[in-house]
Amino acid sequence: MEITQSAASALNFWEPGALSLAVYGALLVAVMGVILFLSAWLNPTKKSPNKDIPYECGITPTGQARFQYPTPFYLVAAFFLIFDVEAVYVFTWAVSFTRLTWTGWLQISFFIAVLFLSLVYVWRKGGLEWSANPMR
Amino acid sequence: MSMTMGIVVLFVKMLAVLAVLLGMAAYMVLLERKLLGWFQLRPGPNRVGPFGLLQPIADGLKMLLKEDIIPRDAERLLFLIAPALLALTTLLAFAVVPFGPDLVIGGQVIPQVISDLNVGLLMIMALSSIGVYGVALGGWASNSKFSLLGAIRGAAMMISYELPLSLALVPVVMLSGSFSLTDIVNAQQGYPFILVQPLAFALFFVSAMAESKRVPFDMPEAENELMAGFHTEYSGMRFALFFVGEYVNMVLLGALTAVFFLGGWHGPFLPPIVWFLIKIMITPFFLIWTRASLPRLRYDQLMHLCWKVLTPLALLNIIVTGAFMAG
Amino acid sequence: MTLYGAIFYLLAAIILAATALALTRRALMHAVVYLVNAFFATAMLFYLLGAPLPAAFEVIIYAGAIMVLFLFIIMLMGVKDGRDMDAKKALAVWLPPVFLGAATLAAGWVLITAPAGAKEALPMARATPAELGRFVFDRYWLGVEAVSFLLFAGLAGALFLGKSGDEAGKTAKDGQGGAA
Repeated sequence: MEITQSAASALNFWEPGALSLAVYGALLVAVMGVILFLSAWLNPTKKSPNKDIPYECGITPTGQARFQYPTPFYLVAAFFLIFDVEAVYVFTWAVSFTRLTWTGWLQISFFIAVLFLSLVYVWRKGGLEWSANPMR
Repeated sequence: MSMTMGIVVLFVKMLAVLAVLLGMAAYMVLLERKLLGWFQLRPGPNRVGPFGLLQPIADGLKMLLKEDIIPRDAERLLFLIAPALLALTTLLAFAVVPFGPDLVIGGQVIPQVISDLNVGLLMIMALSSIGVYGVALGGWASNSKFSLLGAIRGAAMMISYELPLSLALVPVVMLSGSFSLTDIVNAQQGYPFILVQPLAFALFFVSAMAESKRVPFDMPEAENELMAGFHTEYSGMRFALFFVGEYVNMVLLGALTAVFFLGGWHGPFLPPIVWFLIKIMITPFFLIWTRASLPRLRYDQLMHLCWKVLTPLALLNIIVTGAFMAG
Repeated sequence: MTLYGAIFYLLAAIILAATALALTRRALMHAVVYLVNAFFATAMLFYLLGAPLPAAFEVIIYAGAIMVLFLFIIMLMGVKDGRDMDAKKALAVWLPPVFLGAATLAAGWVLITAPAGAKEALPMARATPAELGRFVFDRYWLGVEAVSFLLFAGLAGALFLGKSGDEAGKTAKDGQGGAA
């Protein structure tokens, strides 16, 4: 009973809720589709082997572009993941305390302090230095 | 009122938002070229229409009629959808941006926002991190070395600026006690948050400049090192979609700055929507100004800036703000 | 079936299909794209079930951070697409997922065929972000503090593994780096 009732209220187009977001998203996808279709339909296509070559300033490219590629900062991506999880907790905390108490402040300050220390640790251990000549 | 009427109103609202956005994005290009021209003591585009006002329309038509070239050995499907993905994520973020207070027409409340989610701020964060796939996939699928380098740089930048960008908004959430953008604007009835959170504003602004992928943080496209970076191989309408994404993103960052720090639609004398549009334009103007006056950073410099300066400052700012609110 | 039920099953089907496609793709980049799709649909499922906060976090963390890490690893490794697998290796690769899949199916079968009295429909709940946050921090704040130490350990571990791998890589392919 409850579910059908809330389904009816969710179908209300006056309400700025998830339904209008879904409709907006569908509209955007449709607009993108129309644009891409128009450009494919209106365009002249004249194939030529030289046109298909990837642009490398006039030099004939050798091999594929998707080769093994050194990305020395993949470690930073791992750090980003961990700090992103931290940010999630901080956001959850931030939204739930309209009137802060010192208890709440201490809880999150301890949490942030530990992660601040871990940032300092990574920094000191050289985890953020990956370029040949890092700028200090 | 009836459901049909609701659908009609919703569509009018959505089309108005889309028209305003795409119009603003198109004229942002003209504004940028004009301003850059003036900064460099030349007139800028002035041939098409009075003061070059028809230039965006001419550009759009030209793009639409250009050939769409797919390079040899490209990953076809990913190559084809990547530009639309980028434009889609930026346009979708506007669903939660409130353009004004609720209107009351004939006893019916019409909110001037498409979808007032109670996790609106987080949705914008999520879309901003999804946006990197447009860059990464587009560059990777092109089978061009320049594009791949641009894509990797784009992803490397995202993992750096995303963290201070979101952490800078935590004090805003603390002050307003909500993720809903409408609630955040309503919380700034008395004073805009920039007055109490100048540091958060500065952190957000710098990270937003990095997010816009423009000078001084335009390493993914860096035209004099990587040609055009991730969109080197794109032509015609797909190239235009990448640009729609970039300029709508500028408008989005302007809107977000206005909502989070400049008090949204609040302001004296003028109608709310006018105030909001004026405030939206502030950030893009500064973004264009920096393009005319700053050199490009190296991208390891950006990573150092984000990880060693902005992130620690943002964390400290949260603790200090909390201490003030608790005390 | 209610409207919610229909959307639920649609999303569930999308998640299953996208995950299956992600598992079977040879090209890793395609697998990443399908997996991001699955995460997106999962987020919508969370939202549908009345949990907007986990929905947003699902996209931010899984699609926005973990898959970006995958992107880097794919670009770093230049991973071979595994077409030259011999039979023994193929068995080693396929056996664990087949076993786990079978175990999941068996558990699902037991749950579905269990007597009706054991089933209890959960009440419809809507957790606003603020309520959820208050719940987490009031009740489980000690757990949250423990999470911070866990994250610290994860960070140190990633640093240790990455750095030692770095040293080995440097001697192996010296002179190739620095092009970034």
